[in-house]
Amino acid sequence: MMIMVLHAAALLLYATAAGIQVLSLAQGQRLAPRAGDVVLLAAVALHAAGLATFVATYQELPLVGLAPSLSALALLIGLSLLATTILRENRPVGLVLLPIVSGLLLLALLLRIRPAGRVLAFRGWWLAFHVVLGFIGYVGLAVAFAAGLLYLLQFRELKGKRFGRLFRFFPSLATLDRLGRSGLQIGFPALTLNLLLGWAWTIRFRHTFAFATPQVIWGVITWWIFLVALLVGSRGGARARRSALASVIGFALVVAAYVILRIAITGGRLFL
Amino acid sequence: MLKVIGLSHHTAPVEVRERFVFDAAEGERALQAVTHGEAAEAVLLSTCNRTELYLGLSEGASPDSAVEVLAQHARISVEDARAYLYTFEERRGVEHLFRVVSSLDSMILGEPQIQGQVKNAYERAVSAGNGTPDGGRVVGPLLSRLFQHALAVGGKVRSETHLGTGAASIPSAAVELARKIFGPLKGLNALVLGAGEMSELSLECLLGEGARGTVVASRTEERARALARRLDAGYARFEEFPRLLRDANIVVSATAAPHAIITRELVLRALPNGPGHPLLVVDIALPRDVEPEVGDIPNLFVYDIDDLRQIVDDNVERRQKEIPRAERIVESAVEDFWAWHSSRDVVPLIRQLRGRGEQLRAAELERAMRRLKHLAPEDQAAVEALTRQLLNKMLHAPTTRLREAAASGDALDVADAARYLFKLDMEDPQGKGRVE
Repeated sequence: MMIMVLHAAALLLYATAAGIQVLSLAQGQRLAPRAGDVVLLAAVALHAAGLATFVATYQELPLVGLAPSLSALALLIGLSLLATTILRENRPVGLVLLPIVSGLLLLALLLRIRPAGRVLAFRGWWLAFHVVLGFIGYVGLAVAFAAGLLYLLQFRELKGKRFGRLFRFFPSLATLDRLGRSGLQIGFPALTLNLLLGWAWTIRFRHTFAFATPQVIWGVITWWIFLVALLVGSRGGARARRSALASVIGFALVVAAYVILRIAITGGRLFL
Repeated sequence: MLKVIGLSHHTAPVEVRERFVFDAAEGERALQAVTHGEAAEAVLLSTCNRTELYLGLSEGASPDSAVEVLAQHARISVEDARAYLYTFEERRGVEHLFRVVSSLDSMILGEPQIQGQVKNAYERAVSAGNGTPDGGRVVGPLLSRLFQHALAVGGKVRSETHLGTGAASIPSAAVELARKIFGPLKGLNALVLGAGEMSELSLECLLGEGARGTVVASRTEERARALARRLDAGYARFEEFPRLLRDANIVVSATAAPHAIITRELVLRALPNGPGHPLLVVDIALPRDVEPEVGDIPNLFVYDIDDLRQIVDDNVERRQKEIPRAERIVESAVEDFWAWHSSRDVVPLIRQLRGRGEQLRAAELERAMRRLKHLAPEDQAAVEALTRQLLNKMLHAPTTRLREAAASGDALDVADAARYLFKLDMEDPQGKGRVE
């Protein structure tokens, strides 16, 4: 019960923080107020408390089962947002990331945050390491997506000579480019390690190179998307814009891939 | 008594204002001259848009010598000077300074420089002696308190309102655009074409943001060289422009050329694959220096003066909406300051009242102690403490009420009543004792 209450309170605060951002944008302000950061901090604290209660209650990490995993992923995105807002000018990425966090948390609440009851062969600290690395990879992609989306919108405003609310509220192109690249540069090695660790375990203990599982397919698709986004953003005149575009499309593809895999391969069953 | 005498863009055209501008040394001499006259205190604020003397005058003193000092400096007659000068007294003077420092009275609403200019004016006056051998000061308690209060008010208006946010001039709008593309401009390469006033202002803004500037001469080479020297920027001939373009981040063009000098062909010749990084081209010339088709090149952002005007107008409109909030802060600060200032009028009376009370207390205590010699020393001390506490409690309410009356402007009536009730009219002016 306490786990659900803490998660619900965190969701409420994430939504409030998103509301503050939207309101600031609508009012034509240059920067969201500090109060938004305080609300975000409180949301992350409550969210972390909710997951800590989960660990204390069930004696397992919230890394197995869709609802606990979604909550853990949302917390990592919330933490990354909190870290990026240390630089005040990065705050507007919350416009994209806060709805993502809220959506993930709402889904987790609807699915009920409780242990999956599945006993995995791959378990212990290596599993935790493997899953957390995967989460970091997806968080990196989410940050790159948020920064990329804002970059494309700001670019459009600048090229179109529209100096309205978006122009005022969004950070500079250089800032968004830097943030997006950081997301990709942190996420890509983490996801690579996640995949390598998973395969190493499979080969060592199962003596097979199992590729045709939804998790692996999804992981590999994401890895390629990362690679493409990093490569297109590495050189050339419109490097930053291409990278932003690749991050946005890549993130959309990753979400679409999850839905397709869930419907086509697992017949609607959950995987994660 | 506080008096402000001055002129500004509201009352005088630029050709008059420039005659009244004082540099640091001239300002110090003016302060000495004024405080040798009838003013006890003086601060001189001199900027390109205003020259004002803030004077602390003793009762009945005339500010005429201050007007003479200003007229003499501008080399015009006192009568001619008076045609441009305004005067604010007492509370209106306080309000005026608070509005000035908050940039509510500035030519460009919300401009940030005025806060520093007021601070400098005050600091110069504080460090200036009045020229007398005893090293007397030109700033006393009134102006010292007034200016410290004013600087705090200016800071508060800036931090609590959006009066100073957003660019409000064409060159600063160019900088705002550049910041939206590049973030901080430190270390970026900026090329400024032309050597006129707009080029100079733009270059100043860019250098102020930490960019590296190069003046590119189009026709007036000598002027361009002089501008580069004056602002410590680089210099190049227009023939070098295509080569410089490869490493440039920002180009500001403000030449007097009769046709476009930055064409699509020229840019593509210099950068066949387009710029390798974002390139901002700001065209503030009329007729325009940059061919509109240049904006079609990828990674290149081109803006003309109408685009910048759009940013400025929008920001000015937003600043104007902040005026009521800023005025409220100023109004409340004026109230606070005036309460303090007015309470100074009743300070002598309060001192007199307390002196009289203390005199009575001491006399009665002495008489009582003669009859209470049998008391132990600690008991005698307790009796003395009792009389002190009693006196303090008795005088607390009248003292507070006198200060309140002074703050609300009723000081005269209440002070008369206090004098009558406590028989203070029979006291000597210093409150040292009863006049027999």
